[in-house]
Amino acid sequence: MSDREGTLTALKPASLKEAREAVLDTAGRISVAGAGTAADWAGRLGPVDAVFDTTGLSGVITHNPGDMTVSVHAGTPLRALQEELAKHGQHLSFDAARVADGATVGGLVATADAGPSALVHGTLRDLVIGATTLLADGAVVRSGGHVIKNVAGFDLAKLLHGSYGTLGALVEVVLRLHPVPKAVGTVVVECDLAEAARLGREVLASQLEPTAVEWLSSGRLLVRIDSTDEALPARLERLTRLLGDGAAVAEADVWGEHAALTRGTEGAAVLRIGVKPSVLPGVLEGLPAAAATAGLGTGVATVSVPGTAVAEAHAAVHAAGGTSVLRSRPADLDAPAWGPPPSALAVLKAVKQRFDPDGRFGPGRYDPWEIS
Amino acid sequence: MALDPVARAAIVAALGPDDVVDDPVQTRAYECDGLTGYRVRPEIVLIPRDAEAVARAVKACHRNGVPFVARGAGTGLSGGALPVADGVVISLARLKRVLEVDPENRRAVVEPGVTNLEITAAVAAHGLYYAPDPSSQQVCTIGGNVAENSGGAHCLKYGFTTNHVLSMEVVLPDGELVTLGGDSPEQQGPDLRGVFLGSEGTLGITTKITVRLLRTPETVRTLLADFPSVAEAGEVVSDIVAAGIVPAAVEMMDTLAIEAAEEAVHAGYTVGVPAALVVELDGPIEQCDAEFTQVKEICDAHGCTRLHIAGSPEERAAIWRGRKAAFAAVGRISPDYFVQDGVVPRTRLAEVLGRIADMGDEAGLRVANVFHAGDGNLHPLVLYSAAAGETERAEELSGAIAELCVELGGSLSGEHGIGTDKACSMPKMYGEEDLAVMQRVRDAFDPEGICNPGKVLPTPRLCGERPGKYRPHPLEESGVIERL
Ligand SMILES: Cc1cc2nc3c(=O)[nH]c(=O)nc-3n(C[C@H](O)[C@H](O)[C@H](O)COP(=O)(O)OP(=O)(O)OC[C@H]3O[C@@H](n4cnc5c(N)ncnc54)[C@H](O)[C@@H]3O)c2cc1C
Repeated sequence: MSDREGTLTALKPASLKEAREAVLDTAGRISVAGAGTAADWAGRLGPVDAVFDTTGLSGVITHNPGDMTVSVHAGTPLRALQEELAKHGQHLSFDAARVADGATVGGLVATADAGPSALVHGTLRDLVIGATTLLADGAVVRSGGHVIKNVAGFDLAKLLHGSYGTLGALVEVVLRLHPVPKAVGTVVVECDLAEAARLGREVLASQLEPTAVEWLSSGRLLVRIDSTDEALPARLERLTRLLGDGAAVAEADVWGEHAALTRGTEGAAVLRIGVKPSVLPGVLEGLPAAAATAGLGTGVATVSVPGTAVAEAHAAVHAAGGTSVLRSRPADLDAPAWGPPPSALAVLKAVKQRFDPDGRFGPGRYDPWEIS
Repeated sequence: MALDPVARAAIVAALGPDDVVDDPVQTRAYECDGLTGYRVRPEIVLIPRDAEAVARAVKACHRNGVPFVARGAGTGLSGGALPVADGVVISLARLKRVLEVDPENRRAVVEPGVTNLEITAAVAAHGLYYAPDPSSQQVCTIGGNVAENSGGAHCLKYGFTTNHVLSMEVVLPDGELVTLGGDSPEQQGPDLRGVFLGSEGTLGITTKITVRLLRTPETVRTLLADFPSVAEAGEVVSDIVAAGIVPAAVEMMDTLAIEAAEEAVHAGYTVGVPAALVVELDGPIEQCDAEFTQVKEICDAHGCTRLHIAGSPEERAAIWRGRKAAFAAVGRISPDYFVQDGVVPRTRLAEVLGRIADMGDEAGLRVANVFHAGDGNLHPLVLYSAAAGETERAEELSGAIAELCVELGGSLSGEHGIGTDKACSMPKMYGEEDLAVMQRVRDAFDPEGICNPGKVLPTPRLCGERPGKYRPHPLEESGVIERL
């Protein structure tokens, strides 16, 4: 892309109508870009003729607090949306590190990003209830709706979740909201991964209902409780007791460190991996990770490894039955972004073929699988 | 139309005659699902014993261009499992093993013919349960739940089937066996798992499902509260939500539904009261108790005329028995009924119930309401007598109610699906372009169109010619959403 920068057409629509016209009026290949916080994630973008910038599509469309749903333009930074929703005591239950960097709602959906609270609230695929998507041939498709419960028609937003801009451009997104927890606390234990895994199992087998259970490679286990003012102290106290002598309620914010580790260390390749929770510690121990966060209840980890170890890491995760994708990496690193393809690769190719027959959107994002 | 004899022979050979039913007396059992108004007698029904046999059967159908319809327990309420005239039915009834219970990873791997409740039964000893709880859970299968993305009373807090399925083994319409989803919520590419869920058997047949399990909550608190009006009860729901409480369930019943349920199961509801709410909270004791006190206060503030708190597991079960029986119990107060499943934004509950009452009066028919108030999912039961010639009027009213829900910013269906029943109403909710792109998804999975054809998406054969050009969605007209 860099060697063609001079000839790139910049598209920055401010409405659905403009967006559709821009795509119809532009020949060739298009990359869909939000705030650019994950521009180098997944397969490296191949040569494109235009960049479709979603950040002009910004702002809340409707928010009816009583319904706990909100519809937004896809280029809205989630951080800004959360500030707006907070005035009503509501939020999107979603805490990926990138939100603080200004990531857009559409970009977060397209990259299937998620944070520690996915343990309870799931990823965005669980929180998006409707979407309007623009396809490469100008078709505009609305799916889902404005109600949290709805089974009418195919749930196309799911296809867009994790599509990295290859199937279409999200233009509007409707989200399910939750009340902002009135009181939040975290218990910290200094320990290695093996001990954290043991403690994590105990917490998850208990009825204490943690919102997040994460181990950090700095040697700390973090267990978060979302609660109310009345109930939080007692819940934290029980959790601390369960976690044993080394456990203490955190005084300051400890999740900043988690977010920093998730972003990765300088010069390293950041891999996102997902396996069965029980095999996660074993997989991590086998990787030459300089930094890691490990979701002990979700089986999802983010690790920084040397660029030379990427291919091997994919293989190790795959051998453990899991999946992996490359996130940020040094600009000159030549390493596969994905592990072996899923068994349903043929379906993935068929969907791509029907949605974007000319392969206009997001070329290269699924390399080395060659979906178009 | 009849099944081509050559094709038939090939399909029978793929399974072996022991696993094929063609006796007309036996195939009659497969001619409809829970929506009994639509019936098509299948010529043959295949009852494979494992996933490989399902794949062989589908491959034979594919090679011979024979359409097939998967069938679980046949409790679907939208005609999703309705056979197609020149096709075969593939029953998953024999795939009913619980393959693995993995308490450490809080998941279980089951075959599609396992019933919803059997999953919880298989894992309960580990203090775990499978959360989505359709009222039909004793009989409906997990395969059917996956196809319909089924919900239940506790889905308000815990989510629907789609939120509790990690992965599925699927026989694609060409007979290939693939896995959609994975061992963690991380995805390897677009969420094909998610688009398959709720596709009503039109994208393939699932033969193995890995479900998430939840730890049973430490405590559960349940109350039954009577109110002087549906509107007051609706305000209670709004106030609970506004207080930042996420109840495990909030269900509402109106006079007629209460009357029917009481007659059937004597669960201790107050006959004659205009509205009753069932509110359930669960979770860690400290929090659950504090919030339960708040809920009681909210009920009192809205003129609650009777507050019954379940004092024992038996009393709680009785409250739920009344709620869950309401559906079938309506048969006691009316010879026939249609059930609808539309959804409205919760804040429009009072309005929609008022309009449904007016529409009922106008049609000269009674409508009973029992529904998931927390998420705005209505279940209006249109009562009628076929013997008195009211069928057509009732069907019209029922359809009009579903479409009213769309008009108010909601959906045609919250959990029962579109199937055969509401396919022709889809253009009320989605534009032509929307439906055309949904068709692209279907074509990607099933280019030959042999997998449960005629369901979900409207076709000219089913609905007559296309209803002219696109009419703006009601939300577009009111400026809430924008098309172009
Ligand atoms: C009294 C009553 C109460 C109900 N309450 C609820 C409720 O509270 N919530 C709710 O959501 N639903 C409810 N339902 C509807 C129904 O029970 C659900 O839709 C259920 O999921 C259907 O499961 P089944 O096994 O009976 O599927 P079937 O009716 O046999 O099939 C339903 C659909 O699934 C497809 N299918 C079945 N198995 C597979 C498979 N293995 N792979 C692919 N496709 C498959 C069929 O082709 C069909 O399209 C109720 C029904 C009744 C009769």
